[in-house]
Amino acid sequence: MVVQGLRKVTVGQNGVGSFILQCKRLDFHYCDWMGSSKGMNSFIANSLQKFAAAHPQIEINVSPRPRKHPVIIGHYINGREKAVCVRNLQKEQILKKAELLRDASGEKLKKVTKPVTSIKESVRGVWSPYHGGPLTV
Amino acid sequence: MQASLASTRTRSQSSSSTADVIFEDAERIPNKKHPLSQYASPTPEAALKSAKLAALHARLSLPQKLPLQTMARTLVDPSADSNPNFNNAALAQLGGSIISYHVAEYLLCTYPRLPMTVLFSAAYAYNGPKTLELIARELGVETAAAPGSEVDPGLLQFSKMASGTKIDEFGASTRPDSKSFYRRGMSSRNVYDDEFGDTIPREREPYEPLSTEQAYAGFVKAVVGSLFLHAGREQAKRFVKRHILSRHLDISSLFQFKTPERELTRLCQREEFEHPVARILSETGRHSRSPVYVVGIYSGNDKLGEGAGPSLLEAKIRASVAALKAWYLYSPGNNVRVPSEMESKGAREWEPVHIDLGEVIH
Repeated sequence: MVVQGLRKVTVGQNGVGSFILQCKRLDFHYCDWMGSSKGMNSFIANSLQKFAAAHPQIEINVSPRPRKHPVIIGHYINGREKAVCVRNLQKEQILKKAELLRDASGEKLKKVTKPVTSIKESVRGVWSPYHGGPLTV
Repeated sequence: MQASLASTRTRSQSSSSTADVIFEDAERIPNKKHPLSQYASPTPEAALKSAKLAALHARLSLPQKLPLQTMARTLVDPSADSNPNFNNAALAQLGGSIISYHVAEYLLCTYPRLPMTVLFSAAYAYNGPKTLELIARELGVETAAAPGSEVDPGLLQFSKMASGTKIDEFGASTRPDSKSFYRRGMSSRNVYDDEFGDTIPREREPYEPLSTEQAYAGFVKAVVGSLFLHAGREQAKRFVKRHILSRHLDISSLFQFKTPERELTRLCQREEFEHPVARILSETGRHSRSPVYVVGIYSGNDKLGEGAGPSLLEAKIRASVAALKAWYLYSPGNNVRVPSEMESKGAREWEPVHIDLGEVIH
């Protein structure tokens, strides 16, 4: 055997070739009785249909949660979920929260310190002390 | 047609857990909680009502030509429903061939000098079952806990292996030389084995439980197969390009050399280059605890490769590996035409792609 091949797997780069929205499911929970759900009920009655039609890639579940504050729960492709309590919010504010959950990646929030992260090698290469002419002081 | 087929279906395995309870006085109490359905997988009508399935269809940005009923069928593994009219076996067979064709033509035209072993592992990296599982997971496909007609059609259905089951990797294969003392050479893999150079296992029973990896891989293949049937060749190719070939792979990391210096010498002999010679380019700390030597491999005045290492020998080996990789990874460019482009209408005339002599054999 001259040269052997090592087995690896390719690494996905979401957005290269195709983009998959990371939010796969949104659960809207409301209560018919409590005042904190007023905005949520109005959102479900008026805006949710439009929101759902604009995002066919998200599965939307609406279910009652009696005697509890209204909540939106986003489920993500990486298996995590993110819940936002929307008590006493207006329907426009709830739409903003739904958009926030739609745009989230599902990852834990972390501080991004580097402007660029890449899995590809640097085009310019790494500086080497052994190349180039000797340094004259 | 659909209804008549549906009526002929039977459950593949008698799921005794959902059977009715029979008491001593032989009074049958129907189990209302889990109604015993005569079907092993969800009916095609259920596919139209599944939110999960519609979301998956939209997430993959599949064309409207691919109906939800077929999409639901791609999610039913033969281990869940053994009826070939309702599982994804045929679609996966077709899709698997299409995927491996597009991957193979991409690799052969983009890297015409890859050795056979590396070509096999590059194909495995692009469309091996492990990668297809990753792709399906990244598309947001979930699995059903157990298959059945009551399951949401948007979930992947298959009979899961019990934990602790031994996966028999070296079971009976379709090779005629099944005796273990025969050497499985590279060229015989081209003939007898699959697209990754692995032996093809003998046909298993369709309802046998299988690993999650195989079930996910079957789903991705079946999607490509159903795209081909409903939306045509171009759409199937587009899916492969967007979801499989767009993934990142550093092919230079797939090589493992045993005797790189010897191989380089043979290569230079074959190509009628001058005999390769190693020369020190620079060094530091020869008498220290951590010396570094930079060695170049030269054929005449041409530098073939360069490597750095803590000893002269290691630097030389690294330089030879660099030279060999530079040879094997020659590429006419990333946008080289592939044979399948000739199938589109109005394609300009085919210009033969670069074909190499083959790998160095010593």
